[in-house]
Amino acid sequence: MAPSSAYDPNVPAKRPGSKPDRRPKYRVLVHKRFLSHYSELADRVGIKQAQQFWDHVSQDPGNPDPIAQTCYLRGQAGRPKGPGWSRTIHYEVSSSARIDYQYCDTYTTEPDGDPHPVVAILTINYSSH
Amino acid sequence: MSDVIFQSSDLATKRTEVLEAARKGQARVRDKDGTSLVMLPESRLRLLEALTKWWQAYMKLEALLHKNELPRAAELGELAWLRVFDRADFQEFVSELHDALVAANADEDTAVLDECIKAWRVTARQLEDPLRRSVLNGPFVSEHYIEANEPHGAE
Repeated sequence: MAPSSAYDPNVPAKRPGSKPDRRPKYRVLVHKRFLSHYSELADRVGIKQAQQFWDHVSQDPGNPDPIAQTCYLRGQAGRPKGPGWSRTIHYEVSSSARIDYQYCDTYTTEPDGDPHPVVAILTINYSSH
Repeated sequence: MSDVIFQSSDLATKRTEVLEAARKGQARVRDKDGTSLVMLPESRLRLLEALTKWWQAYMKLEALLHKNELPRAAELGELAWLRVFDRADFQEFVSELHDALVAANADEDTAVLDECIKAWRVTARQLEDPLRRSVLNGPFVSEHYIEANEPHGAE
């Protein structure tokens, strides 16, 4: 699926497959270079696991997922992208799908903008480890 | 170290005592030819093996760090997966490995060491790809991020 537009803080990310049961707490962003990877997620891992990932990052990205394995990346790759950002979390959606993301509870698109929580999906890797 | 030294004949006559000593840490048994043997819980053996392996690796990496150039894959051997890291990350790995080894030794448990190695291996694999590497190691640029369109699954 082709990229639709640049990031608009007033438009929430879409949950794969269907409407979420709960209102998302975090807006979910994807790096442009991995948008095509993201669009393949449900087909790659199944809609249930894709939704589980999305529900996790849109609701509670800072805590361990009850099912999927997560860890912090180490070294420079794991450091926060800026003030307020988390370390990089490596989320194993399946044995062959891994997603790295950071989250920020007070993200603003402009210096005097309205702070809001976001999750930034940095990379998606479909090669098995 | 246990003060009790069992004889090989005790394996038949004092089997319970031998096993109890082994369960508590170690049972020393003197063989007929005088060889000293030790029976210990397998978990303890695995811990000692892991600590030995990674202390040796740590010492090797420490030595390699003193060279001007980053070590080549051939020098790293089975740790060649570390070659994706730059010097700062390499130094950070060696430092964290040292801390994890000390903690594992104190805990008598390799959990913290296993977690350290796994996380660094995962990081190395993520950095193997140039695109992933540039995003993970680069700055956050808001213009590079967009909303995700809703993917449609096959199910």
